[in-house]
Amino acid sequence: MKGLYAAMALVGLLLGLMVALQFRMTRDIAQSVPVQRAQELSARLAAVREERGALEERVESLRQQLDAVTAQPELTVLRRELEQARILAGVVEVKGPGVEVTLNDSNQPVQPGQNPNLYVLHDEDVLKVLNELRAAGAEALAINGQRLGPTSEIRCVGPTILTNRNKRLVPPFVITAIGNPDTMISALKMRGGVVETLQVWGIQVTIRKLNEVTIPAGIAPVKFEFAQPVTS
Amino acid sequence: MSRYLSITAVALVLGMMVVQQFRITGFRGAHGIPADRAQELTVELKQLEKERADLAAEAEDLEKKLAQAQMGYNQAAEALRTEIAKVRLLAGLEPVRGRGVVVVVVPRQGTGVFTVRDEDLLRIVNELRGAGAEALAINGQRLIATSEIRTSGAHINVNLIPIAPPYRILAIGNPEYMKNTLEIKGGVVETLREWGIDIAVFTRDDLTVPGYQGKTSFEYARTS
Repeated sequence: MKGLYAAMALVGLLLGLMVALQFRMTRDIAQSVPVQRAQELSARLAAVREERGALEERVESLRQQLDAVTAQPELTVLRRELEQARILAGVVEVKGPGVEVTLNDSNQPVQPGQNPNLYVLHDEDVLKVLNELRAAGAEALAINGQRLGPTSEIRCVGPTILTNRNKRLVPPFVITAIGNPDTMISALKMRGGVVETLQVWGIQVTIRKLNEVTIPAGIAPVKFEFAQPVTS
Repeated sequence: MSRYLSITAVALVLGMMVVQQFRITGFRGAHGIPADRAQELTVELKQLEKERADLAAEAEDLEKKLAQAQMGYNQAAEALRTEIAKVRLLAGLEPVRGRGVVVVVVPRQGTGVFTVRDEDLLRIVNELRGAGAEALAINGQRLIATSEIRTSGAHINVNLIPIAPPYRILAIGNPEYMKNTLEIKGGVVETLREWGIDIAVFTRDDLTVPGYQGKTSFEYARTS
């Protein structure tokens, strides 16, 4: 009889604990400010992203319409100048021969006592690869589908990279470049060059020569916030 | 008999509790969001809203030019010219002026362990871009999407033009923000100083960044 009372007491205690715990956790999770905020923000993000996508298509279509109504042969020179400026500004999709460089963290097991930080990919490694490609005459560049424009940054945050104002990229990082494939490949693979240096740390670098690379358009600001054109 | 019953009851409750606990943990993993996620989403939202506003303004601008271009040959040529001017400005082909910073980088005479290397300048430029620089130049060479900063022999080349120390980097953008980004503890200024390189950041109310002067034609890239 005594055992039953003790057992019942225990059951009651556990039930009470359980209810309390359950109540507390549910309230914590569902009603905590961060989650509510995050849910609200996610919903707004989805809406804004959709509107932005629609506007992007509209701008693209307007550019094509402008090209179409200015198709007179007398305007060829101006149209070509516009096209070149658009490619440099990175606001138009471009195609051409080029290379694809894939970068990934080291697959070597880190030995005890070694600094694991040396074996992961850093923003500077990516910067160096991009710089090498530019020096080898790359005409247009993108990383994981993000077009690199005149002001694009490459920032490491944990295992991810931020570029073009907080566009988050996850490994593997795939850099595509349009230009002379052979020049770009030999620049990367040069003795003592960037690929050799990265391989010392076990960073995995794969280079592919491609006959046709497509580099997507990026978004340029319509107007700078600080920079003004120099008049006269 | 009752002892068995009570043990059964306890076991049952324990089992339920374990299940509940698992469910809660699973729920948290799938949907629970730590506080800094909200902050991250806010930053992303702000950026998306800016891009949306930029695209809306761009669409409006293009609509105006399209209407103008449909009016006749002269108007079409004029619409193209203003469009070219706008895109050239964004591409970095035109000089611009505004508030910003001047970063001066000089290897310290005699005591310097390291000379200034291309990657040091790359890093400074990347930090400035991350801090929102809208226009950048090193020793008179405007940095555009295809500009390299690369050691070639005894010099560093920018836009295939050799440059020499002292290096002067001009950046137009929010001066205080750019200066703070470079001078943050453990940042690029501190690191370079430890390596025996003198670096100073000055804010300016008005500076002019030249336009890109190199070649603008493409040999390999084409639009569709």
